[in-house]
Amino acid sequence: MNPAEIASALDDIRSAGEALRQRSARSVHESLCEFFAHWSNPLARGRRELEAALPGATGLHPKTAREGLDRGLNHWDAAAFRGLVDRELGPEAPVAIGLRSTAVLLAGEIPMPSLLSIVAPLALRSPVVVKSGSRDPVTATIVQRSLASVAPDLAPALCVLPPIQSSAALAALLEADCIVATGSDATIATIGAQLRPTQRFVAAGHRFSIAVIGDEALRANRVGDIAERLAIDIAMWDQQGCLSPIAIFAISEDPHAADRLSEHLAQALANAEAQWPLGHVDDAAAARLASERAEAEMRSASDPAVTLLSDPEHRFAVVREADARMRPAPLHRFVRVHPQETPAALLAWLRPFAQHLAAVALAGFGRNEAPFANALVEAGASRVCVPGTLQAPPIDWRHEGRGVLAPLACFADVEI
Amino acid sequence: MKREAIEQALLEWMRSKSPVADDARFQTLALALFAHQFEHCGAYARFCAGRGVLPDTIKGWQEIPAVPTGAFKELTLTSFPAQESQHVFRTSGTSTATRGELHLDTLELYEASLLASFRHALFPDLDDDTKARILVLAPSRQAVPDSSLSHMFGSAIERFGDTESHHFVRDGALETARLRQAIERIPTDRPVLVCGTAFSFVHWLDALTDADTRLKLPANVRIMETGGYKGRARERSQDELYAEIEAILGVPAQRIVNQYGMTELGSQFYDSVLVDPAGPRRKLTPAWTRVRFDDPRTGHEVAPDQFGTIRILDLANTGSVCAIQTADLGRSIGTGFEVAGRELGAEERGCSIAADLLLGDAT
Repeated sequence: MNPAEIASALDDIRSAGEALRQRSARSVHESLCEFFAHWSNPLARGRRELEAALPGATGLHPKTAREGLDRGLNHWDAAAFRGLVDRELGPEAPVAIGLRSTAVLLAGEIPMPSLLSIVAPLALRSPVVVKSGSRDPVTATIVQRSLASVAPDLAPALCVLPPIQSSAALAALLEADCIVATGSDATIATIGAQLRPTQRFVAAGHRFSIAVIGDEALRANRVGDIAERLAIDIAMWDQQGCLSPIAIFAISEDPHAADRLSEHLAQALANAEAQWPLGHVDDAAAARLASERAEAEMRSASDPAVTLLSDPEHRFAVVREADARMRPAPLHRFVRVHPQETPAALLAWLRPFAQHLAAVALAGFGRNEAPFANALVEAGASRVCVPGTLQAPPIDWRHEGRGVLAPLACFADVEI
Repeated sequence: MKREAIEQALLEWMRSKSPVADDARFQTLALALFAHQFEHCGAYARFCAGRGVLPDTIKGWQEIPAVPTGAFKELTLTSFPAQESQHVFRTSGTSTATRGELHLDTLELYEASLLASFRHALFPDLDDDTKARILVLAPSRQAVPDSSLSHMFGSAIERFGDTESHHFVRDGALETARLRQAIERIPTDRPVLVCGTAFSFVHWLDALTDADTRLKLPANVRIMETGGYKGRARERSQDELYAEIEAILGVPAQRIVNQYGMTELGSQFYDSVLVDPAGPRRKLTPAWTRVRFDDPRTGHEVAPDQFGTIRILDLANTGSVCAIQTADLGRSIGTGFEVAGRELGAEERGCSIAADLLLGDAT
């Protein structure tokens, strides 16, 4: 589409938005409850359509895509959506309405955040124009079709654009009243620089997650179970999302704790591969993986405290590190297990990376778990959960430390 | 064959008038160098032994295990005693990030290699009695002694440059006023090279654009650019950069040479455009190097014309390890090769971050 066509699409969507704003917020929320009731059902048409389309579009293995959708969406039902609305726009909140138009610039290949980004503005009666990401060109159009089927009253307020190639076309899209974008710090800065102060900009920058495992979960009788859970967190979406742990910290004075965890994790990832195979890895990513594996191999040849555990087909890799130093994370089921002596040492390690921390999977700290979780929040985490659930965030997870709906809203206090 | 004999043979090769490829010579020297490095570099020997590769078990240079470039950040890879290190080149990066190191106990072979390739690719028209004008958009080697790039430029000026050849980056800033004056004094009776990092060129082009200035550099001027942007400037694709250079400096792509090199290597690979203007643009491989392309999933060599990870055997690396595995993709083109460009503007993976960005050390 050329800039003029995009400008026209924005005008059209604003007109559709006028009609949407004539409806009560409650009626719109009811329609969206129908939508989420549909999408939380794995047998629903939209889910089946997305499950069928994702592998071809993203390279994910069909079994892995299906499992990821089940874990990510099955609990995003009507009650969960109602809970989100009550939590952020509930009866005690001031009047809330979205902006006249919202442009959503999608990125990444995980459909749940895309789905939520697309429909969230509608909850505030703001019409939406969506630009799909190159890594997932299918979710937006499937959501659009689904909305037309399940909540046809909302469908005119959603427009999904064909791929945008030129910077001029993108600039036209950035004339929307509210921009929602995900990407690197550099991408966010580039977009932000093109906006006026009167426009709302809701940006989600790059994030990473980790797992932190304490002594109680590193004992011989528990470590296997923890490893299985961590393997789920790593295997889902082939470790491509911000909730995928890129590093695991074994906090223990036992010098063998990290070894135990690494060995069990390697076995668990082998099990995970059998159930949810690794999908396609493009050449550039494969090159990075090969480089990191070889580097770990070389270090392990000279340092007995470093171990590379991998399968012959290179479908996963666990590197037992000798220290907590941050190293590159090539993803695609490549994870490092770092020894760390104390929680305080880990918190100190996290300090430089605080602004990029998303979630922490935490286990094995007994009575100290709650205070440690609070400390991790203060260190930058917007979510602390048990291993095995990283990839199943609640619908109202405060990604970026903000709400889901509130950042899109204009609140007003009516005092008469 | 001892290292001294290997280096003597290499020096003769590099300093010959037109070093030609010689498979038998390469094979002999490569296997001898591998045996030497296996014997004298413990970390490398352990790595090779772990793969079941020993000097007396291999038949050809293709079997020499390659070290990933990242290993230079983690291990000191020298095949001479550490206390004999004379010079260290370090990879770029922030002061807090771990940087790779190439230790050298002598610069003789290093400089012979770089000067031979530099002259062949950038000054094929330079006769022995003439000095070229070399304008460098990079700091001097005195300012950044651990930069292999600055060292290369300094050596080139020393060997090929006239008295008005200079560096134009000081304290991290491009000296645009001095550079403008130097441009005004460009001679037309000798080869002129303007060289530097891609991001320095971007800064210069931006400064000229801000000043609404267009130049028309004469036909004896050629440009060499190298390196990436390391997140420090507005990125361009190679095509975009070359188009801007032509538009603002008046130098067409046929006179712009890209250099592919890295701190971990003793040799560099230059585009062929000045040497073979009629042929396809490709990286020239010095006679003492071999480049092959491996499937990153299997480690096996890919079919001709297919992209694979670039593996380099560089005999100039006598003091460290001669076989390097990069994480770059490339493929063979005729007698040379091309490096796959990173897809600029390629969407990142949604909200997740690449840890190398966290490290502030883009590769």
